[in-house]
Amino acid sequence: MTSADMTTAEPGVGTAAPRRVAPRKKRGNSIPVGIVGWIVGIVFFFPVLWMVLTSFKTEAQAYTNTPSLIFSPTLSQYKTVFSSGIWPYVANSAFATIVSTILVLLLATPCAFALSLRPVRKTRDVLFFFISTKMLPVVAAIIPIYIAARDLHMLDNIFTLVILYTAMNLPIAVWMMRSFFLEVPGELLEAAEMDGAPLRRTVTEVILPVVAPGLAATALICCIFAWNEFFFAVNLTATQAATVPVFLVGFISSEGLYFAQLAAAATVATLPVILAGWVAQRQLVRGLSFGAIK
Amino acid sequence: MTAIAPPVAAARPARARPDRRRQGWVRRAPLLPALVFTIIVTQLPFLLTLWYSLQSWSLVRPGSEHFVGFSNYADVFKDSQFRTTAVNTVIMTVGTVLIAMVIGVGLALVLDRKFLGRGVVRTLLITPFLVMPVAGALLWKTTMFDPTFGIVNFLLRPFGIGHFNWVGSFPLGSVMIEMIWQWTPFMMLLVLAGLQSQPKDILEAASTDGARPLQIFRELTLPHLRRYIELGIVLGAVYVVNEFDAVYMMTQGGPGISSANLPFYIYQRAFLGFQVGQAAAMGVVVVVATIIIATFALRLIFTSFSGTEQAA
Amino acid sequence: MAEVTYDSATCIYPGAERPAVDALQLAIKDGEFVVMVGPSGCGKTTALRMLAGLEEIDDGSIRIDGKDMVGVPSRDRDIAMVFQNYALYPSKTVGENMGFALKMQGVAKDERARRVREAAELLDLEPFLDRKPRNLSGGQRQRVAMGRAIVREPKVFCMDEPLSNLDAQLRVSTRTQIAELQRRLRVTTVYVTHDQVEAMTMGERVAVMRAGQLQQFASPTELYDRPTNVFVAGFIGSPAMNRFDATADTGGIHLGVATLRPADAQLRAAQGHSKLIVGVRPEHLAIGDGDGELTVKVALVEDLGSDSYIYGRLADDASSSVIVRSGREHPRHGDIVKVAVDTTHLHIFDADTGLRLGE
Repeated sequence: MTSADMTTAEPGVGTAAPRRVAPRKKRGNSIPVGIVGWIVGIVFFFPVLWMVLTSFKTEAQAYTNTPSLIFSPTLSQYKTVFSSGIWPYVANSAFATIVSTILVLLLATPCAFALSLRPVRKTRDVLFFFISTKMLPVVAAIIPIYIAARDLHMLDNIFTLVILYTAMNLPIAVWMMRSFFLEVPGELLEAAEMDGAPLRRTVTEVILPVVAPGLAATALICCIFAWNEFFFAVNLTATQAATVPVFLVGFISSEGLYFAQLAAAATVATLPVILAGWVAQRQLVRGLSFGAIK
Repeated sequence: MTAIAPPVAAARPARARPDRRRQGWVRRAPLLPALVFTIIVTQLPFLLTLWYSLQSWSLVRPGSEHFVGFSNYADVFKDSQFRTTAVNTVIMTVGTVLIAMVIGVGLALVLDRKFLGRGVVRTLLITPFLVMPVAGALLWKTTMFDPTFGIVNFLLRPFGIGHFNWVGSFPLGSVMIEMIWQWTPFMMLLVLAGLQSQPKDILEAASTDGARPLQIFRELTLPHLRRYIELGIVLGAVYVVNEFDAVYMMTQGGPGISSANLPFYIYQRAFLGFQVGQAAAMGVVVVVATIIIATFALRLIFTSFSGTEQAA
Repeated sequence: MAEVTYDSATCIYPGAERPAVDALQLAIKDGEFVVMVGPSGCGKTTALRMLAGLEEIDDGSIRIDGKDMVGVPSRDRDIAMVFQNYALYPSKTVGENMGFALKMQGVAKDERARRVREAAELLDLEPFLDRKPRNLSGGQRQRVAMGRAIVREPKVFCMDEPLSNLDAQLRVSTRTQIAELQRRLRVTTVYVTHDQVEAMTMGERVAVMRAGQLQQFASPTELYDRPTNVFVAGFIGSPAMNRFDATADTGGIHLGVATLRPADAQLRAAQGHSKLIVGVRPEHLAIGDGDGELTVKVALVEDLGSDSYIYGRLADDASSSVIVRSGREHPRHGDIVKVAVDTTHLHIFDADTGLRLGE
């Protein structure tokens, strides 16, 4: 056994798997493929890159027929953005994102546990139900939600968004956490049982440390979706509870179309999620496919 | 590496057994908060939508609601704008998902090969998916598609297209381009996961059997990818059908309703037209249509990916 | 330290056609090393898990020191288990893994540290106490799993194929280490394996199982010398015992054209059974110098250096294969040789019941 073998070993990977699955690594670097890869990569990334570049330009530089890559960067657009009252929106977005994500994890983790390691009867039906809620169009629910929020005096209230974002992300989190729980080797739980650990200690000392990376990945995915959400935000908030996407929309109408300023605002709005997504990219697939693909 | 874990599926039913007799509400308890919460927040509104769809109700005239039976539904099916937006939705969904999938497969094949800076390129490629949809739509509308200052026209100037108004002339197409840009990474990631899950020894066996790369791709890789592609299409469709942000930001469904899809149209009816009953009826129609797609989606996820799952 | 008794212990999986373990009857002595062996699906692991409390006892009982274990949860049975895949807690260090059970029992920290250190010393694990399992080799992980069991000083050790994830060489050396350790600690041990060599080398007594039923429970020598039925005869020993269809009359055992004359008592026991199976171990066959009861056509020779095994078929019955142990001098592929049978070491079974006849 080599040391490389050991470092790549994870619980949950066993000889039980019929074959070693590995990305093809033997073939050497391919230069033509590399060139194609880099070109498409840059093409796809370009709008984002351009957004960031534009945000460092003056409006005059932004409004040219011949876009230039070389210019003397200025922070003035960011100053404008930050002085235009973006902070309450950022605070709302952060609050809705963080609180809803915490709620999601608190609700989803025990739920996923009951659907995996100590499965209840009708597990399949419950899972089916959770995923089906994700597939029904939000637009069909917005009217009663709006009316209910209005009647409960919850319009333009950040907690309305917290509740809705929690419901929006819960199915994804349940499925994802379940797929992580299922990877906990059964023997580990039996070992804990034999060692005399009560369920609570088994969960806190054995299971949670094993699924901790999964918990983090799930949280990141939920954060991404909550931060980017627009439909509920635009329909249910006005001035008090509006989030960053709503700010972006308002920014156009109030200031007119100023490319550079807009780019700066968009950069501020998108950057947190882009960074989070880059960090969590290995887990993105799992989240997006409801844990079906690892 | 020697094994650390038994096959999960084999270990599970055996261990679940001793508990079965003690199973009850204690066992179900951890499940309930999430379940009850989800039912209240997601199912109740749909029931109310059903109820509202049988009412004539305008938001601006309080107390105007009264029961009208199925007449809202009759109106919906007579509404030519509803039909147009339904067609738009289909075009938008099918076009976006299929084109994004084709590009996504191509990109995944590129990323499956080793080259210098592959990790960086992968990171660049997934970025569009992470961009806040509102911001993405805004970007495309302004810096990319602007008739005078947009990059697209700048790049096309050498070909004699200087001041073309993309969003104005091709509203639906422009919105779709933005959506394809956002959804291609999603497809790529799924297909890439599929490619990388293909057992290497099978490919080696094929090449020792004398298969050429193209034959290997057609005979082995493509069949293996099939379920990943199907999953991508179905999940993508479920998300894209509900797309609202791009339409709202780029065209507001215009000119007229030429680029409106159903979510946007229903939103317009409810919040700009204040026609709760009619909007609700449309919502119900959309739900029914989505259930049909979703049924395929669920079956697919269950059969091809959780095939080993034990129904507990 | 304890006696373990399986008393008609039965385990039935819901929906299964037959019990996974069918009325198992075993009396294991205090401090004994018992190996349960059998082909996969024979119920050996289930039997072990029933003792550990991981599988329900649906009928009968299992007693530890006379105390009925039905309905007693594992944590109250005072049993330690070594799992096939070790089941080390990945987030805990080696020391924490070994001390976890003591921590759960509420043993004081100093006492815990002392006992962990003692066990680590015993297993040469001291340098690794602060490492995480993922930074250990397969053999080291195996020893940690052993250590975790030892630290608890339980009444019974349960071991479920603990060597199956080691490579062949390590398996042999670890095998002797475990056996030696058990003799030293004298803790009653139930050890499950599918490998009959492991069973024979490690166990003081071996329980051979098949299809949920106990076939024979005896010492390794007894199993080898007096297998109680055809299954045990074929399962124990490598290469396997030769088995031939035969009939018997007063003149002897007839095996095709050959006639064998076993001891009188054995022959008498065989008479009256219409169809027989005669078993002879490869070492009880010898290539004769032109004489011998059997004529064998050599198909393959396995040369092991010290000995060789000749694989062939009876000349008059091409469907029955023969394995003969031979010395360094051996015939070649295609040769036809005479093989002499040591009739004092014949095993005779009734072909219908499979049971041993005589002796």
